[in-house]
Amino acid sequence: MTTSAYVTNEVKSYIGNEGPEIVSDPIDRSEIRRFIQAIMDQDPIHWNNTHAKTTRYGAIVAPPLFVTHWFRTPAGIPDPLSQNFKENPNFDGLLKEKNGPDLPPLPLKRALNGGNEIEFFRYPQIGERISSKGKIVDIFEKEGRSGRLVFIVTETTYKGYENNELILIARQTLIRR
Amino acid sequence: MTGINQLYYDEIQVGDDVTPLIKGPMTTSHIMRWSSAMENWHRIHYDKEFATNHDGLPTVLINGSWKQQIICQLIKDWVGEQGWLWKISFQHRAMNVPGETLTTWGKVTFKYELEGMGFVECDIGIKNEENIEACPGKSTAVLPIRGGKPIPYPFIPPKG
Repeated sequence: MTTSAYVTNEVKSYIGNEGPEIVSDPIDRSEIRRFIQAIMDQDPIHWNNTHAKTTRYGAIVAPPLFVTHWFRTPAGIPDPLSQNFKENPNFDGLLKEKNGPDLPPLPLKRALNGGNEIEFFRYPQIGERISSKGKIVDIFEKEGRSGRLVFIVTETTYKGYENNELILIARQTLIRR
Repeated sequence: MTGINQLYYDEIQVGDDVTPLIKGPMTTSHIMRWSSAMENWHRIHYDKEFATNHDGLPTVLINGSWKQQIICQLIKDWVGEQGWLWKISFQHRAMNVPGETLTTWGKVTFKYELEGMGFVECDIGIKNEENIEACPGKSTAVLPIRGGKPIPYPFIPPKG
């Protein structure tokens, strides 16, 4: 049996923790346009409704990973950029994501992205609201070259809010060291 | 991308190259356009002084989130409207900066039939002109078999 320096029973108890379900605004045609222009994707299923109607999609659909970027700062709240810069003039500009589950406290300073894995079921349509919910699916520890590494695997599920139909599941491995 | 040139499972051989996607040379304007489209205000993508002084980077970076889109686009375009990009996985291994031209590539490593559908696994990634791999990964795509059933949409994964 390997000894776990960091992954105690208390840390392990975070496996299964879920974040809140969050719901997006309806997907907007012009936002899909901006998105495909920025990734330089000419595929007519994302912009040409006449063409899209002739396909199994039946209407314009958003690109595969669109929904993972479709949870935006709502209007009517105090401006998060101004607030963050007021607290810290060196603020890095990165607004915190709101949908993740609580992560276990660890006496480790650094965090890096250990990889992403995505499973796709369908592409969402204009007008759809998206529901997203994150969950911790695994926490484990390994010996790395520069010490022990803790791996936290989260899984975020994206569905249609109204029809409850699965869109994609994204798994991300966060490495703490 | 249209149904006319649909790729079929029968035509695929292990070792085949996926039609590459070439983007670039990338500029700070491309980075700004993406950051703005997704409302990501992380300064390492548009504030050179912050990127170099605060984060110790060589200059502003092309977003990892942008690179993820391009590798999905690679397989989505390749499998066509009757195929399906089922799974993709990747790691962010190297930085990319303005001035680089990026080639997103894929190579077939394995193929198998299951439940009347054709499954094709590929190694994938994004290389710059110096051949440095920034985003190594794997994908599993589903292609129709000639004379076989259409791939269900929404996609229903095979059992087991």
